[in-house]
Amino acid sequence: MKTRGVAAAIGVLLVLGMSGCGKQQAAPEEKGKGRLFGVVYQTMNNPFFVDLNDGMKQVIEAHGDQLITLDSQFNSLKQKNDISDLMLKGVSGVFINPVNWEGIKGSLLQGKEKGVPCVVIDAPVKDEDLVLCQVASDNVEAGRLAARALAQVKPDAKVVILHLSVNKACIDRVAGFQEEAAKYPDMKILDIQEGKGSTEGARPVMRDLLGRFPELTAVFPINDPSALGAISALESAGKLNDVTVVTVDGSAEGVGAIKAGKLHSTSAQSPREIGRVAAEKLYEHLEGKPVEKDIKIPVELVTKENADAYLQKRESAASAVPAAPGA
Amino acid sequence: MRTTRHLVPLVGAIVVLLLLFRLWVPNLLSPENLIDLTQQISVNAIIAFGMTLVILTGGIDLSVGAVLALVGTASVFVLTSSGGQSPWWAIPAMLAGVAVAALFGAFNGIFAAKTKIPPFIITLATMLIARGAALGFNEGRPMPIPDHQTIFLGLGNGRIAGVLPVPVLVMLIAFVLTAVLLHYTKIGRHFYGIGGSFEAARLSGIPVGRNTVLVYIVCAALTGIAGMINTSQLYSAEPSSGAGFELNAIAAVVVGGTSFSGGIGTMPGTLLGAIIIGILDKGLNQAGVHFSLQYVVKGLVILGAVFIDVLRRK
Repeated sequence: MKTRGVAAAIGVLLVLGMSGCGKQQAAPEEKGKGRLFGVVYQTMNNPFFVDLNDGMKQVIEAHGDQLITLDSQFNSLKQKNDISDLMLKGVSGVFINPVNWEGIKGSLLQGKEKGVPCVVIDAPVKDEDLVLCQVASDNVEAGRLAARALAQVKPDAKVVILHLSVNKACIDRVAGFQEEAAKYPDMKILDIQEGKGSTEGARPVMRDLLGRFPELTAVFPINDPSALGAISALESAGKLNDVTVVTVDGSAEGVGAIKAGKLHSTSAQSPREIGRVAAEKLYEHLEGKPVEKDIKIPVELVTKENADAYLQKRESAASAVPAAPGA
Repeated sequence: MRTTRHLVPLVGAIVVLLLLFRLWVPNLLSPENLIDLTQQISVNAIIAFGMTLVILTGGIDLSVGAVLALVGTASVFVLTSSGGQSPWWAIPAMLAGVAVAALFGAFNGIFAAKTKIPPFIITLATMLIARGAALGFNEGRPMPIPDHQTIFLGLGNGRIAGVLPVPVLVMLIAFVLTAVLLHYTKIGRHFYGIGGSFEAARLSGIPVGRNTVLVYIVCAALTGIAGMINTSQLYSAEPSSGAGFELNAIAAVVVGGTSFSGGIGTMPGTLLGAIIIGILDKGLNQAGVHFSLQYVVKGLVILGAVFIDVLRRK
């Protein structure tokens, strides 16, 4: 019968396909008795998380262990399922970059119940008593730095903010920005809109804001991808010379835009450092050492003056030999 | 039931997938992991049961993801704005959620039945309207469920006798009800008739308008229930959640053998389709397959399943 034949053929294809992935992705069990860890990101469609993952992976592989990296695609329910899959597989610890800082609670409770330590990376969670520790950039300071950099060139700036308001890291950045901006009496925040934290999300919103606020002279998108979206909208409207863009991130793309004169500043985070510290803290915990709860990784302001120096430093960090196990 | 023969390759695929993934994930078939699997598929399966009816009658509902988010925010709004401490506020909250969903379903259904606008366009529009309405709550920020709302939180996180997750029980009840409706009632036969040939169904005296409205309401109401489970599992209503859920539900429906042109399909097929999608998600995750490759494998499986569907009808 034809149907059965096709079903069989598809079965065979699947087997071939799967055994293919198996070889490329060498299943953890095959590689000795190393421990297994998992990390779940809100998205991998952002170079920040790719760098963070590299920093983490270097430490874990230097210990002879393995890391499974999963992408939750901004979907809280998928993230919950991803984390549950990792915990039931028997990982020794999970690194979580939450989509929704409140919605992650169920996963943290599951970790508590199963005795799997959870380390939160980049964006904090609300129920901090349920996690081992949180490792993130000093996001409030990042927002302050952006406002200060803006004030130096335009103390009377009329600003719009492109937010990603489900994310606590971004909430902190905006809070820091607002706090610092309030120190300049002539600076005014016209509006805060959702820019979705992505290039394709920020572009149309920026275009709309340009139409609504002809007087606007500056924009604070909360990360490099949304800054690139805003810049693209400003360019196509011929307004890039009138509007100053300041942001937070420090990705290669963002610094590239600074060097091209399109972006004024980015408060650079150190994603590799976040990944490295997060992994080391988990190892310290597994060795029975106490770990502090709230770990802030410093940020630094990057403008045209120090863009080249920053890029060089970044590159040497990427090629650095990871610390020896137990170091 | 019309035919159970098409279920054989689906069951076969499930067995093959489980055995395959077991090579890389030794504890794949542990009771705990399997219970977790059923819990993970519950939201998608409940939406997919309703979507089966819609697709079977020749329609489509793209609004389910956005309606899911709106139901979550609306029900948590009722839950929290009452100010009451009683967990029984879950009852009016849930009723409000289902009512909002049914309203959208009725809107979709009436437009689909009374106008010549394709359902794809109608539900694309209601998707945007529902999303906007959801984002209107709390300025688009998540709305946490207070800890004392134990009944509402139990809907997504509770376990009956410590074993059976509540969402799975809800999924099984939804399955039985929709399967009986489709396969053992006159209305169910009408659905097949409408999907097979709208004009023939109309001429033979089937009340096509009423039935069309009914399928969209059932689909939306089930989405409402799924939305409250989703909200409960996330301990908060998330106005931006549910994006892409319509595609995941459609995937379960077509993998389960329902024809996109209507008239062919069964409810057990959809349940098996949702299980296949769930096994793929879990298996690929637990086998440590790179996330980029996961998309490709899922795409191939969906394509393969629809390929079988096309050949079957030749």
